[in-house]
Order: sequence, then structure tokens, then C-alpha cells
Amino acid sequence: MGTTASQLSKESLSEYQSNPFKERICQVFSTSEQKDGSLTFEDFLDLLSAFSDSATLEIKSHYAFRIFDFDDDGTLDCADLEKLVNCLTGETNDAKLSSTEMKQLISNILEESDIDKDGTVNLSEFQHVISRSPDFVSSFKIVL
Amino acid sequence: MSTVSESLDGSSRSLSAARRHKSIRKTSRRIYSAYQDHQEGSSDEEDKVDERVDSNDPEEMFQNIQYQKEIIANIRTRPWPMRRKLKVLKQARETVLRYEGRLTRTRGYQTAGADLLKKLSRLLYNIVVLFIPWEVRIKKIESHFGSGVASYFIFLRWLFGINIVLTIMTGAFIVLPELLAGAPFGTTRSKTIPKEHLSSAQDLDTIWSLGGYLQYSVLFYGYYGRVRKIGSAGYRLPLAYFLVGMAVFAYSFIILLRKMAKNSRLSLASASDESFTFCWRVFCAWDYLIGNPEAAESKGAAIVNNIREAIVEEQEKKKDTSLAVLISLRILANILVLLSLAGSIYIIYFVVDRSQRLEKEKPELTLWEKNEVSVVVSLITMIAPSAFELVAQLEMYHPRTSLRFQLARVLVLYLGNLYSLIIALLDKVNSMSSAVQVSNSNWNESSSFLATISHPEGNSLSTLMSDISLSKNHNSTTATIATVLAVTSRSSSGDVYNQTAVFEKNTRQQDQCWETYVGQVLLSDWITPEYGEFKIAENVLHLIYNQGMIWMGAFFSPCLPAFNVLKLIGLMYLRSWAVLTCNVPHQQVFRASRSNNFYLAMLLFMLFLCMLPTIFAIVRYRPSQHCGPFSGQEKIYDIISETVATDFPVWFSKVISYITSPVVVLPALLLLFMLIYYLQSIARSLKFTNNQLRMQLQTERTEDKKKVFQLAAARLQIPEAAADKKSDHEESNIASQESSNHTPSPCQNSSTTNFESPVHRGNCIRTITKSVSRGDLNRGGVAGSIRSPAVTVLPKHWLEHIPNRPPPFLGGPSGTCRSKSYHHMVYNSPPHCSDSIHSDPLCRKTVHSVHPVEAAGIITAQSYRGRRGHTTRYVIVNEHEPRKKLLRSATRVPRHYFMEEPTEIMELYPRNVRRYTPRNAHSKPRPHQSHASQQHPSEEDEEEDQGKGRRKMSLGKSHRPRSPSNLQQPAHFYIGDRLETYITISKENHTAQGRYGAQDVDEEENGVGEIACGDEESHSESQANVRVVDPLLLQTRCHIHSPRRQYLPQTRARHVEPHVKSKSKQKLENVQTESDSASLASSSDQQNSSNDQYIQVIHNKERYLKSGARQGQMAKKKSKTSFDLKITESNDLVCSNV
Repeated sequence: MGTTASQLSKESLSEYQSNPFKERICQVFSTSEQKDGSLTFEDFLDLLSAFSDSATLEIKSHYAFRIFDFDDDGTLDCADLEKLVNCLTGETNDAKLSSTEMKQLISNILEESDIDKDGTVNLSEFQHVISRSPDFVSSFKIVL
Repeated sequence: MSTVSESLDGSSRSLSAARRHKSIRKTSRRIYSAYQDHQEGSSDEEDKVDERVDSNDPEEMFQNIQYQKEIIANIRTRPWPMRRKLKVLKQARETVLRYEGRLTRTRGYQTAGADLLKKLSRLLYNIVVLFIPWEVRIKKIESHFGSGVASYFIFLRWLFGINIVLTIMTGAFIVLPELLAGAPFGTTRSKTIPKEHLSSAQDLDTIWSLGGYLQYSVLFYGYYGRVRKIGSAGYRLPLAYFLVGMAVFAYSFIILLRKMAKNSRLSLASASDESFTFCWRVFCAWDYLIGNPEAAESKGAAIVNNIREAIVEEQEKKKDTSLAVLISLRILANILVLLSLAGSIYIIYFVVDRSQRLEKEKPELTLWEKNEVSVVVSLITMIAPSAFELVAQLEMYHPRTSLRFQLARVLVLYLGNLYSLIIALLDKVNSMSSAVQVSNSNWNESSSFLATISHPEGNSLSTLMSDISLSKNHNSTTATIATVLAVTSRSSSGDVYNQTAVFEKNTRQQDQCWETYVGQVLLSDWITPEYGEFKIAENVLHLIYNQGMIWMGAFFSPCLPAFNVLKLIGLMYLRSWAVLTCNVPHQQVFRASRSNNFYLAMLLFMLFLCMLPTIFAIVRYRPSQHCGPFSGQEKIYDIISETVATDFPVWFSKVISYITSPVVVLPALLLLFMLIYYLQSIARSLKFTNNQLRMQLQTERTEDKKKVFQLAAARLQIPEAAADKKSDHEESNIASQESSNHTPSPCQNSSTTNFESPVHRGNCIRTITKSVSRGDLNRGGVAGSIRSPAVTVLPKHWLEHIPNRPPPFLGGPSGTCRSKSYHHMVYNSPPHCSDSIHSDPLCRKTVHSVHPVEAAGIITAQSYRGRRGHTTRYVIVNEHEPRKKLLRSATRVPRHYFMEEPTEIMELYPRNVRRYTPRNAHSKPRPHQSHASQQHPSEEDEEEDQGKGRRKMSLGKSHRPRSPSNLQQPAHFYIGDRLETYITISKENHTAQGRYGAQDVDEEENGVGEIACGDEESHSESQANVRVVDPLLLQTRCHIHSPRRQYLPQTRARHVEPHVKSKSKQKLENVQTESDSASLASSSDQQNSSNDQYIQVIHNKERYLKSGARQGQMAKKKSKTSFDLKITESNDLVCSNV
């Protein structure tokens, strides 16, 4: 278990190529030394258990937070949010938000979620928001 | 002197502010290390686990096992990587296995049994999943098209479940008994086909329209016999019929409400009216289930639309001018909608009325006259929704809202049409009942009327084929017409056949609905294979409507639920097939759970509305005379009173009559109303408090942050500007009162308190009585500034201390000596002291260790373990103190202050007193230091020396406690709640310390501070305590490069004990460190500052929790509890930060 021979690269999950966060997901669950996002069997199990039906909201939101935290600094700052939105909208010109739109969006997000007004969303704030969402638990799942 | 000390204090504060500032960043780093490097934490924890297990005390073992079990139980809820989980789990299992048997045999067997049971239940669950209908199919759809589409199928499946239950109810209690024990076909009038119809009874046409043999079967109400008891067992069929009819409604209501309650409980959204529209749109936008590229694309487009619209909405919100226009537009739109609704209702009413008139007057009807009603109805149902859609564009709502509005309006339209039909028909019933008619002719008439309806329907269906939804609705409306007709004709004429025909009509409607529906869907799929978006909302609406028909007709046709079950099965396969082959999810999908509740609300509404006509018919009209279980009765519900009167003892009927009399019913109703009002007001108040709490939390947190930043800013400025300016410092002090460490009490005591307070406290701790006297000494006459006296008096104190010390504390005195000696060492201390130092090898080492660091010029490295220990200590304890002070009174007399704390401490940890004494000894020297610094504030050398001395002191301290503990270990470890339990388990202090030390080393090597608190939430408090301290320690350590690892163990030993230590002590130390660092070098206290942060936040919370408890003298218990709380809180806090 967990030897390099059994590592999955992020391209192997063909079912998940349409997920905009596929790279982040791999990165978050990967424990490989090279930081290339490849998954050992155990990592894969982690991934599936976090995305399973039986995972609690807390676990799900925790991993969601890490997925969204692109620079791995423990908070969602403006750069993270921008990347996140770009991931969602795609990079095509017509879908991408303009910079003013982006600014507005990010300020609105922070206004809603940033309880301590430090300009970033930390894990507990994130979880607070997420836990109120009616859809999150049902959509943060992967069924293979 | 005081000014100098103040300045020192001030500068130290500013330094710590700077530190704090940095620490903010650091915390974020720590956060990540927390979740990335759990490995270290776990190993630490595991070691402790082993250690705990060493003891043979059954109680401890039991606790340990419980703890391990907790780990096992909760391991799934922790966001750890698999490897760590496995490791921890294995370890926990092992310990449980190993030691559980030791406790009792039975316990071991119990766990083995529990394990087996768990495995079995899991297996069973897996098997059960296989039997959940369509689970695999739904999962497949879910994985392709996301949870939105799947929600439709889940809803369908849920309806299917309800219908199954309804089918069982009606089948088992009505249909089966009738078939088994009722009079056979052809024996009674209601069960024989009339002669004139016999010839055509087997025609396909007749069967198709549910006439002929079907008409006289268990499908319909009319077939059931009126015999009160059937079969040898005397089954009361009519009673059962009535009760089941009611039970169907009751069951549906209950199940619906329960489902809704569960849904709303699951989503906290309904409970709080916070709006996170933007966050949800971004954070929860993606449906991770989507695997189909097409679906992903459309989902992406939907998300973009969503976000864009939110942004636009937000932008428009800011424009006031458009708001007025928008509102007027919306009002206009609503008026239009209302008008069209009213118009459609009136038209339908008019048409129905007219057709009925025509029916009566004309023997022959033209095609148009026959089809009028259905054509008009279908036209309205076809046109009105699109009109609504147009109108909705006026309103410029968000698509989701507008979709909702659309749905609601369409629903209202349907219902309005339906009700207008019903009302019109009821009118007709009345008019018919006024005109006495021959039953036969009446029958003809009504049947002809039925024909008019049913026939046109077929026609209209063909025209409607293109639009499934509309045609379906149309079907259902006509179905309701039929039901109403049934009611009317039956009540008016009382003709048997009439009634059956009507019911048959009703069912036929339903049946046809199903068949035509399947045909339509198939057709539409064939004709338009590119049929794009799967309109969840509309499809759900159909389901709801369909279900409403079932509820309406179930009483008159007991087999209706069974038909519906079949229909739903067909629908499920058809729909899922259609979705999987040619559908792409709707762009404006309703999200699963929330929309579910919306659907459910509509369903509930539907149920209520469909129940009304049935109930009305039951209550209002007379059952037909020659058919059905209630024939011959005045009212259908008479069956109840009749049964009560004839088959129950007299007293029972009396009781029933009492209960149903207004005397009971009215008060009961009143009570109900009162209850409702009460519950509602409670809910309202709860909501209010909820809001308030949230506000409080918000302000709390923002306030805290603000303070931290203010402080940081203030401090950053001050040191650079003028370190000597007293006034500035004072201001900063005031400002910093909020900050944890410098809470008013210290400040008031003196800005220099740092130096002097230690002494006081030391005394206090030793013996309470002493402290009083000493305090008097110190303060005698010095009301405002205590420190100067303290400093001067120092020697005296010193003397006092020694004599005062209780005899058992052998270690104490020696400790003091040592500490002093350290101090003196720096200043060429007395020989005896140095001796003592040397006698202890550890001391020497530490001293050595200090030097290199200083040489390196990193004075900040004060961080030595010993140091660290202190800092950590503050973390927990320090915070309370200032808080308490704050709460009580800012102007508190320092003396009290001192006094109180020690007492608390004493009470808390009586045995630890010994410990404190050594401590005090250490702290003693400080005054000297302060002296020195004050005397030669400008001399760097001096300062450095001081620093050295201090360092050494701290080091000495760190190892000092050990010696006492060695001497009298048992005494030490009994009392403290957590710490003790924790450490004492291995009753060898040394080993424990060693362990910790070892752990520390490990952690150090890893170089990662571990904030394990978050993970350890479930642990016993003792652990939490240790935990809280550790992480901070580690953290600090990490930031400081610590050259000596070898010494760690000793220092660590310190850490173990610190938890038990008195608050006052910690405070002292804290203060010291700060002042020291200030005088020595900048940035030295970063670690502390980080701690401070924590502290602060904790404070506030704590204050809330315990403000009440704090007031007045702190009782023993109280202090204890407060301590506990503190710990837990800090734990929480750390967790949250992590």
C-alpha cells in the first residue's frame, strides 16, 4: 500500500475530467513528495471517503476549503477567490468575469462571510457559511 | 525608577504588539501545519497513550480504554489522511484489546460481540441498499447530471413509497376482504350488470372506458356491499372503508409533514435568515457529482449566469431610480397575473355552467357544445403559463425566483380552474336536487354528460401531445370534473348506476391519464429526440398534480393508489431512460434539498386542496341509495355513530357523545389555539435570541480583531518613536488594557509590575496569610505605586520567604537558592548559590546553552525551553487573570489582587504549593534585575547581563521544579484534575517528563509546531489542557531556532508541570518575559504575542460565559470551573483557528 508503483496520476480519473477542480482535488488529497498531485491508494481512499455520502458536513467543508485554498495558506484571500471563480466560469473570454465584476463579487463574498473583517475567509467562517447551505452536502459527493 | 520601568514596560508592550502583528501571519501558517502535519501530533498523542496505559489502576485503565474507544468511534469524523487514521486506529485498537481484557473478561467479550454486531449491521446495510428501488439507477443519473436532476427521481421514488403504503392500506382492508368474504359477483343489484348493458359489457370500447365488467368490480366504490359484517369473522367492511379513507389522508399528512420537518432540520438555512447568496453561488456552486461533459458544460454556463445575475442584481440594488420602476413593474405584473387568473376561472365557470344548461335543454348537442368545456380548459392551461412567463419578464426577478413564481402561479391557475369547475358542478348539483327527476333519466343525463367530457378529452389529447405537461394537467382537471360529477350525480339522484359510472369515470380518467401519459412521453421522445433540457420543476409539478388526483379519488376508488404505483414505476423507467439517452440538465436547476422542500410544500398544499372536495362530499351529501358500503345511510360518516351505538357498550357511546358535544370540543379547540399561539411565540423569541447571539458573536469577534490591530499599530509606533516617554506608554498601556497580557490589573499595579509583582505573588502563593502581611508591608502607605516599595523591600521579602516556607518544602528553599544563584551568577553571585547550581548538572547545561544563543545575537532566543514553557503557561492561565480583574473593577487594590489569586491557586492545587515556592524564589531575583536595569538603563552590557541572568533564571526554573517533584512526587500529583490525571497516570514524574521531553525533541526535529487541539476535542479535559499548552509551546519553539535539543527533556519536564501552575505565577513570568525582552532586544516575544492573540479572543468569550460567576470572591469551585472553562475555551479557539 502506498508505494509509488500504485500511484494514480490526475489524468487517470477519466470520469472526472469535467470537474473544474480536478487538479486541486488531486493536490489536496495527494501525499506524494513531488507535489504532482498523484494519488496513492490511500489518498484515493481519502478522496472517496471525503466525497462519500457518509462523510460529515465538517469533513466535507474542511476539504472543500482546502480545495478552494489555492495557495495553501490556510485562508481564502482575494487571490484564492479570484482563482476559484475563474475555475467555475472557465477561461473563455465570454464566460470570464471582467475585473470590475470580479471585484464586486469578491467584495460581496467577503461582506457575507468574513465575520472578523480581516479580508480573508478562514476555515471557521467558511464552515459557517457552508453549513447553512442547503445544497452543499448533497452536491459535494462523487458517485463513480 | 517607576518611570523607567514603565518605559520598559511600554516598550516591551510595543514589542509584543509587533510580535502579535507577525503572529497573525504565523497563525495562518500554523493553521496549515495543523492540517498537514498531523503526523507529529498523532505520534505525540500515541506516546502519551502508551504512557497512560502503564499504570495498573483499573480506573485509569478504564478511562484510557474509554478514551481509545472514543478515538475509534470518532475517527471517521476527522479530516486526517488515511495513513494517520490507520495508525491511530491501530494503536487505539491495540491498547483497547490489550487492556480491556485485563479489566474484566466480560468486557472483552462484550467488545468482541459489539464488533461482530457492527460488521453484521454493515453487511445488512449493504444488502438493504440493494433492495432500495432504483438506487443504482438514481445514482447513475446523479453521477451524470448532478443532484438537481436526481432530486426529481428521488422525489418520484418517495411518492412511490407513499403510494405503496396507500395501496397496502386500501388493498388489505378494503379490496381483499371484499373479494374474499363479500357477496360474489352477480348476487346483488349493485354487483350485476344491468341487462341492457350486458351485451356490450365485453366490448373493447366499453372496457377501454372502464365500463362493462370493470364498472362492476372492486375497482369502484359502487361494488362494495352494504352488509355491516361480512364473512365468518364478521369483518365490518363499511366501517373499514370509511376509516381507511380517512387514514389515507391522515397518513399522507403525517408523512409529508415529517418529511418537511426533516428537510428543514437538515438545512439550517430555514432556521436562520442570514443570506449568503454570493458565497453559496461560488462555494457551493459546483455539483461534484457531474461527470458528463455536456452536463458539466451546461452547469458551468448556469453558474456563470448565476454569478453574473447576482452581480448585476447587486449593482442594481444600489441604483435607487430603477428600484421604483422595478417595484411598479412588479406590481403591474402581479395585477396582470391576477387578472388572467380571475379571467380564466370565470371563463371555465361560465363554460361549465353553459354546458350544463345546454345539456338540460337540448336533446342533441353539437360537437362544439360537447367539447366546449375541455377545449376551453386545455386552451387556458396551455396559454396561461406562457402568458405568465411573459409577465414574469416584466418583473426582472432572479431566474430562480421567477421560476418559483412561475410554478406557484401555474399551480394557482390549475387549482383555480379545478375549483371553478367544482363550484360550477356543485351549483348544478343543487339545482338538480331541487328538480325532482326520475332516477333513470337522471342517469342517462349524467352519463351523457360524462360522455361529453370524456370524448372531447380524447380529442384534445391529440392536440396536446406536443406538450406533455399541459396535456397532463388537462387530464387531471377533467379527472376532477369527473369526481365532482360523481359526487353531484350521486347525491342528487341517488342512482346506483349513476354513481358507479361516475366513479368509473374518475378512475378511467386516472387510468387513461397514465396510459396517455406514457404514450405521450414516448411519442414526444420519438418526435423530438433532441428534446433538450430536463425541466425538473415542471416534471415535479406533474407528479404533484398526479398525486393530488390520487388523494382525491382514493376514497371513491380504492384501487386508485395501486394504479398510481404502476404508473409511477412506468414513469420512473421512462423518465430515467429519457434522461440518460437524450437529456441535458436544465440550466436553472432547482438544487436538491431546498427545492425538495419547495416541492413538498406544494404537495402539502395539493393534499389539502384535494382533500377538501372529498371531505365536503362525505360530510355534505347523502350516499347513493343502492350501491356502495354506505347505501341507505343519511350521511357517510353515520357509519361511525352507528357502530358506536350498536356495537359498543352503552357507556362508551355516552362518553363519545360527551366528547363530541360542544362542551368538550370548544375548550379543546381553544386549547389548541392557545398552544399554537404559545409555540409560535416561543419560536419567535428563539429566533430573536438567535439573532442577538449572532450579533453578539459578530461584534465580539470584530471588536477583538480591531483591538489586536490597534494594539499592534500602537506598539509598532511607540518603540520607534520614544521608548522613554512615559506618557505615551501610559496611553499605550491604557490602550493595551484590552490586550490580554496587559490587562488593567498589571498596568495599575505599576507599569513595572513585571518585576515587582512576582515577588508579591510569590509570597502570596506560599501562604495566604503571609501574603496579606506582606502585602501590607509592601503597600503600607503606598497606595498608588506599589512597585517602588516592593523593589526596595525586596530583601525583606526574601528573608520572609525563607522562614515562611513550610517545612515539607525542602525543594522550595533550595530552588530559591538556585534561582538566586543564577541571578547572582551573572552578577557574581554568592558562592553558595553557585554551588547549588553546579550541583545540578542540568542547570549547568542550561546555562551553557544560553550563551551560544546570545552570542549569535539572537536574544530573542530567550525562547529556550524554559522560556517556552512559561509562555505557554501564560496562554492558558494568564488570560483569565486580567479578565477577572477587568470584570471586577479596574480600580481594584493591588493587594486584593494578589491575595485572591494565590488563594485560588492554593485551593486549586494545594499540593502544588511546593512548586510555587521554588518559582517564587526564581522570581525573586527579578527585582534585582529590574533594579539593575533601572539603575543602568542605558548600559547595554548590563542589560545583556540581565538578559543572561534572566535566561538562566528561566532555565533554572525550568529544571528547578523537577527537584522538588523528585523529592515529593506523590504529593504533587494527586489533586489537579486534568494535569494530574494525565501525568500522574504514570506515577513516576520523571518518566513522564522524560517522555514529554522526548516528544518535544521529536517535534522539534520535525520543526513543525503542532496544534493538535482541534483534533483532540474529544479527549478528556486533562488532555485538552496539555494539548493546548503543547501546541503553543511547539509553535514558539519552532519559530525560535533552538540549538540544544539535548536539553529539551528537562525543560519539557517543566512543561508538564506548568499546566498545574498557578495563574499568578504565569502572569508574573509573562510580565517578566515581556519586560525583559523589551529591555533586551526587539522581537523577542513573538511567540508570546501569538499567544496573546489567542488569549484575547478567549477572553471575551470567557467573560460572557462567566461574568456572573466571577463576581464577588472567587470561590474555590468557581475558580476551578473557570479554569476548566478556560481551557476548554482555549481549546475551542485554537480549534477554530486551526
